[in-house]
Amino acid sequence: MRNLWLLLQRNAFFLAFAGLLVLSLMVLVQNDGSARSSWFRTTGGVAAMVEGQQQQWANYLRLAEQNSDLAAQNAELREQLLSMRTSSEWQTAPDLGWKVKNGWLVKAPDGQPRSMALGTPGANGDIRIESGVLAFGSAFGSVVDLGQEHVRILPLLNTAGTWSCRLGQNGAVAPLTWDGRDPKRFSLNDVPRYAQFQAGDTVFTSGFDLKFPEGISVGTVIEEGPASGSEFKTVYVAPLLDLTSVRHIEFIRHISDSERTVLSQPLPAP
Amino acid sequence: MNGLRLVLLVALQALFLGEVAPFGEWSRPQWALWALLMLPPQLGPFTKLLAGFSMGLGLDIALGSYGHHMVAGTILGGALPTIHSLFSPRDGYEVTNKPTVRDLGTQWVIGVTLSAALLYHLALTLVDTWHAHLLGAAIWPALTSAVWTTFCCLLMHLLVIPPGRKNSSL
Repeated sequence: MRNLWLLLQRNAFFLAFAGLLVLSLMVLVQNDGSARSSWFRTTGGVAAMVEGQQQQWANYLRLAEQNSDLAAQNAELREQLLSMRTSSEWQTAPDLGWKVKNGWLVKAPDGQPRSMALGTPGANGDIRIESGVLAFGSAFGSVVDLGQEHVRILPLLNTAGTWSCRLGQNGAVAPLTWDGRDPKRFSLNDVPRYAQFQAGDTVFTSGFDLKFPEGISVGTVIEEGPASGSEFKTVYVAPLLDLTSVRHIEFIRHISDSERTVLSQPLPAP
Repeated sequence: MNGLRLVLLVALQALFLGEVAPFGEWSRPQWALWALLMLPPQLGPFTKLLAGFSMGLGLDIALGSYGHHMVAGTILGGALPTIHSLFSPRDGYEVTNKPTVRDLGTQWVIGVTLSAALLYHLALTLVDTWHAHLLGAAIWPALTSAVWTTFCCLLMHLLVIPPGRKNSSL
């Protein structure tokens, strides 16, 4: 207490000065509108800054609680995912004429030229050969082999596949292939020389291969490649998604799939 | 005597002398400062602080500018001991020294007066303006007014206490 008194005595002049200044400022702020508004604006800014800082600290201290909430939310989402996996049924879109069924990739393509993908369900889930496979609404591949519980899928990321695509919604139709080198670059071959496009244009499925409806997005144009002959050119296309990291897929099949398959067969030789 | 001088100068400024501004805002004098600067430099810091505060309070009451002169006067009263020590002679102030040209020299009187006037006018401009974006334009009239106040104080000095006189009547 004595030390405090000594401290006050030592700084008595400064304290008196500060006291009188505060008193003067109080009189000023109380009677001057401009000073008052400036005072409120300054103190308001400081208060907002302090409150923001407090909020940051509060958030930091509530981190454990937020983590716990997120973990609970994560568990709920996993449960939903599991129920989707086990109770998947064909869902029909009559206006489009196609039906869709959820599925899962057991093995994704690894970027090697001939690697296949393995999906589920198989024949037990009413999956058929030649069904199209989508991933996140984009073309992924088609079913080429069928087991009871699993299917073998020929992905776009395989040099053996050829996919009928269209440049833009109404552009030229050309086959899309992969040369087995860069997983982020496909080739749209034999594009007619008159076809108009520019980098960034979307490439869609044409629907002519009967595996996909028309208008399913496949990728975007990167650039024009070397001309293949005098009448055609090559266009390089980037896929819309990373095909090597896909987990959730959708099998897609036309409602009149059997009829279309039969009628699309070549006529028997006379 | 000092208290009487302070009251008289505050009243004179409020009633007549405050309007002696030949260049308008650019030369707004603060005559009452002279009364504050006539305080002997040997006085204690508390007396100077209280004198500055009282001068501001008196001006605010007389002029109806609540708080403006109080803030500026308190700042000047608080800084006056430092100003006096900055301009003190090498051997310090003698007990009989008065803040006059005869006792402390022209240089001392002009230096202290100009420093005090600058501080007072800048403080006054700060509390008059308040907003930072208006301060730039207001600072130049404050500087010229400080020079004008210095001139007025020196004039008062010469009129009331000519360099040849030993003591003033006020």
